[in-house]
Amino acid sequence: MPKCTINGKEVVVKDGATIIEAMHGGGAYETSDEPQKPGEKKQWAEGKVAHYCWHPGLSVAGVCRLCFVEIEGNPRLQIACNTVVTEGMKINNTSQKVKDSAKWGLDFHLINHPLDCPICDQAGECGLQEQYMEFGKYNPEMAEKKVKKHKVVDLGPTVVLDSERCILCSRCVRFTEEVSKTNELGIFNRGDRSEIGTFDDKKLDNKYSLNTVDICPVGALTSKDFRFRQRVWYLKDAETVCNGCSAGCNVRAYFNKEGFFRVKPVYNEEVNGYWMCDEGRDLYKFVNRENRYLKARRRISGGAWDEMLPGAGAKDAAGVLKSSGDAVALVLTGQYTVEEYESIVGNFVNEFKSKKIYHWNNNPKTENDFDGLLIRGDKNPNTKGLFKVLEKHGVKTSWSELEAGLGNGSIKSVVVAGPENLQFFPDMADKVKTLSKAQNVIWLQSPRFAGLDELKNNVWIIPMKSYVEKDGTFINHAGLEQKFKRVTTVVSEALTLTEAGDLLAGHHLLIKPALNTLVEAERPEDRVMLENRKKNEFVFRRGEL
Amino acid sequence: MSVVQKNTSETTKWFLPGILVGLGITFKHLAKNLLNQKKMMTLNYPEQKYEYSPRFKGNHILTVKKDGSLRCTACMLCATNCPAECITIVASEHEDPSVEKYPIKYEIDMLRCVFCGFCEEACPVDAVRMGPEWQTPGVNGANFNYGIEQLAYRPQLKGGMMSLVDDEERHKYGI
Repeated sequence: MPKCTINGKEVVVKDGATIIEAMHGGGAYETSDEPQKPGEKKQWAEGKVAHYCWHPGLSVAGVCRLCFVEIEGNPRLQIACNTVVTEGMKINNTSQKVKDSAKWGLDFHLINHPLDCPICDQAGECGLQEQYMEFGKYNPEMAEKKVKKHKVVDLGPTVVLDSERCILCSRCVRFTEEVSKTNELGIFNRGDRSEIGTFDDKKLDNKYSLNTVDICPVGALTSKDFRFRQRVWYLKDAETVCNGCSAGCNVRAYFNKEGFFRVKPVYNEEVNGYWMCDEGRDLYKFVNRENRYLKARRRISGGAWDEMLPGAGAKDAAGVLKSSGDAVALVLTGQYTVEEYESIVGNFVNEFKSKKIYHWNNNPKTENDFDGLLIRGDKNPNTKGLFKVLEKHGVKTSWSELEAGLGNGSIKSVVVAGPENLQFFPDMADKVKTLSKAQNVIWLQSPRFAGLDELKNNVWIIPMKSYVEKDGTFINHAGLEQKFKRVTTVVSEALTLTEAGDLLAGHHLLIKPALNTLVEAERPEDRVMLENRKKNEFVFRRGEL
Repeated sequence: MSVVQKNTSETTKWFLPGILVGLGITFKHLAKNLLNQKKMMTLNYPEQKYEYSPRFKGNHILTVKKDGSLRCTACMLCATNCPAECITIVASEHEDPSVEKYPIKYEIDMLRCVFCGFCEEACPVDAVRMGPEWQTPGVNGANFNYGIEQLAYRPQLKGGMMSLVDDEERHKYGI
């Protein structure tokens, strides 16, 4: 492991690491000779390098010429992305020479870049804007006219290309070559007429195509789904775990008070690397308020629907469960968190003395499929977690037992923890039909499903919180436990499965409305709270004349 | 509760001379205004109106292009810059390939607006301006959420005010 000095600080680097990897933490250790322990916070050399074409998940291209650094003993600057660190190398990226090179490199990139920032979706998170504010701020010295290229090119079902904005970093081309291995994109023509495109109007259509939008450092590739819907600076974001399949990709959800707008992947070496699939990016949609049950609904023997608050609905349903004795069954989908399963299964086993707990498998045929990169056939985030909890409580059942129980009347009431993302539950209508044979159906469900309104027996539909609205743990296909935190609250009165389980078991529960108030632990140190504020010195007294 | 004490000092007994001086000033102005009505400081408001300078920051105008369509590109910089948060824009894709983005909804809540002119300053394409109109009357329940129809094509503007920034000209200069 070679030792080098970056900006005067001695760093030990992995064998074969390039300078940019060493500076961005991809291959650097602290000065001590011991490699870092996993989970320890990595400390890397200070000062990051400006770059466009280098991406830690892709091969090195070395085309943007922006990551120049100074190496002692070398008369000219070297690109950091393609220079391997050697023993005793002294690297500097804070000198004036380096800053100037980035500045003039940027000038070349911006020669043909259009002034599209007002209508460009990337504005606000654009690499060109960021580097220009950091290194640029020059008056352009180019007197020639800009080269015009194709605008608003429909590349495929998910992506739009604007080749004028493209700086030809070739990240997207390398992505389709190396990661998705579909080879749709390429660079056509030469010199300043070079353009990104697909051969013979072939479409950029693969299951990972939207990653090209993420890695595009400028606004050349934009997502059709997100296009023009929000400016990025209006969005807040928080990390969570995708609930689209059992891969459990780490994602960042972007939202504001109008709802959720997009999902992007977060780097996790053990799970998803830098990528995620296009299917997972659609999953913010069912979370938004317009697709959700907001009030609990009750219908007794085919009468009219009553509406009530979710907590009241669950309490109302608790009475029915009590009167059913042990003829109560619980149906669970793999869509909830381990903590919730633990609580509701515990309640069933201990309160109702019932082990009639069944797993609703929505994809028995494709369960073990894997596409080789990320997408898993099991479209539930937490099937492993569910099995673990069921095993712990000694529950061993099969779906056919439930069907038999419904047929011979030994199961009168069914509590169903319904699915969140209905697009992965093609058997939803069938299962509703099967379960409607029970006398009482208590359906815990977060997105609306029209089929539930047609049930003619005693039905309670109780709104649930979705995965972005609660803390919890998902266990993915490999058995990796991933804890995640609440992102925001969309339907504040909806219940978690834990709360619903407690209420159904007849416990009293104080449900605090989840407000987006500042949590004391998250409070920034410099924030002055009202009670500590300096009092106004001027006090206006009305009585004095 | 505030208690107001009655002022019982000696000086309050000498109020009459003060009143007479004040009345004197009033009558002086009355006589002046009656004799020289042209120099009167006040206006008979609804009939007579004061003319402010053309740079007055009054009601907003959305400018139009040569063909009469909206100049606004829905970049939302005005809405971002607005300290009163009174601008609502919903952007959409345009059918015309030369126009990429345009607003399908552009609303200014006139009652929230503080007429600071930051929107005009932020606009990169001269699409929103503060006009010289300063009267915004309306009876109870009137709609002060001005939409595109009102902001760009109200009758006073006679078919819309032309923007100074033209895309075709910019393209000719190679921008």
